[in-house]
Amino acid sequence: MNVHFNVTTMTTENSAILVFKTNLSSPECIDKIRTVLDQDPDILQWNVDGQDKDFVLRIVAIPTLRSQAIIARIERAGYYCEELD
Amino acid sequence: MRVRDEVKEAAIRKKAMELIVHEGFDGLSMHKLAKAASVSVATIYIYYKDREDLILSLCKEGMERMTEATMKNFDPSMPFAEGLRVQWKNRASFWMKNPIESQFMERMRHSPYHDKFVKYLKKEFTDVMYQFVNTAIKNKELIALPIEVYWSVAYAPLYQLVKFHMDGAKFPGLDRVKLTDENMEQTLQLVVKALRP
Repeated sequence: MNVHFNVTTMTTENSAILVFKTNLSSPECIDKIRTVLDQDPDILQWNVDGQDKDFVLRIVAIPTLRSQAIIARIERAGYYCEELD
Repeated sequence: MRVRDEVKEAAIRKKAMELIVHEGFDGLSMHKLAKAASVSVATIYIYYKDREDLILSLCKEGMERMTEATMKNFDPSMPFAEGLRVQWKNRASFWMKNPIESQFMERMRHSPYHDKFVKYLKKEFTDVMYQFVNTAIKNKELIALPIEVYWSVAYAPLYQLVKFHMDGAKFPGLDRVKLTDENMEQTLQLVVKALRP
């Protein structure tokens, strides 16, 4: 089985988990990125932890989806986003 | 199948329960937990969606472990006094062996998570316990009571003894209270007597 594991991503054959620090601090912000993320067939599941000070965006996606692609999309929507270490 | 780093995951779970027991639910933030468990915040998010996901996952596992321990050597068709003795011994032994986990579960029981906590109680477990009680009532070993009254008499005395022991409680002028086979049996006998028709 092809398995890759490091601090910020966990990849298996079927899915990878990506986590980001953001400023998606309110339900309104989350609504704005909802359309972008929901429409992406590469993203299987996502959530923002509104209780965390880094408003962590957690994405379960197909293994080939790159963090940079997510960051670019969130930034284009007008928000801050960087990989969480 | 997802490959997990079980050592890291176990450290996260253990520290999360410790933080909740010592500092309450508000004492648990992902950042604090990461520090306590010596992992990165990102690692925690690999395993859990958010704080609630983590808490509920701990609760589910705790419930399964606790239920399994409670069922050891237990048969609902046992005579009432014998079955209750097995239950007491199993429950006390789980508490002693897993003090943090038990205190964590106790907190869950008396928290806003209560409804979710109850949902994790497996039907197989509650069915067995109801069967035990109903058999005892049918065999005239136990009086029929509202469940909260039954529970308060049948189990609360045990948990009070366990609490004394765990807290190292002291009555004025006496040594610290210890849970022993003798005081457990003495209490059990009184409970059985109180519940007999």
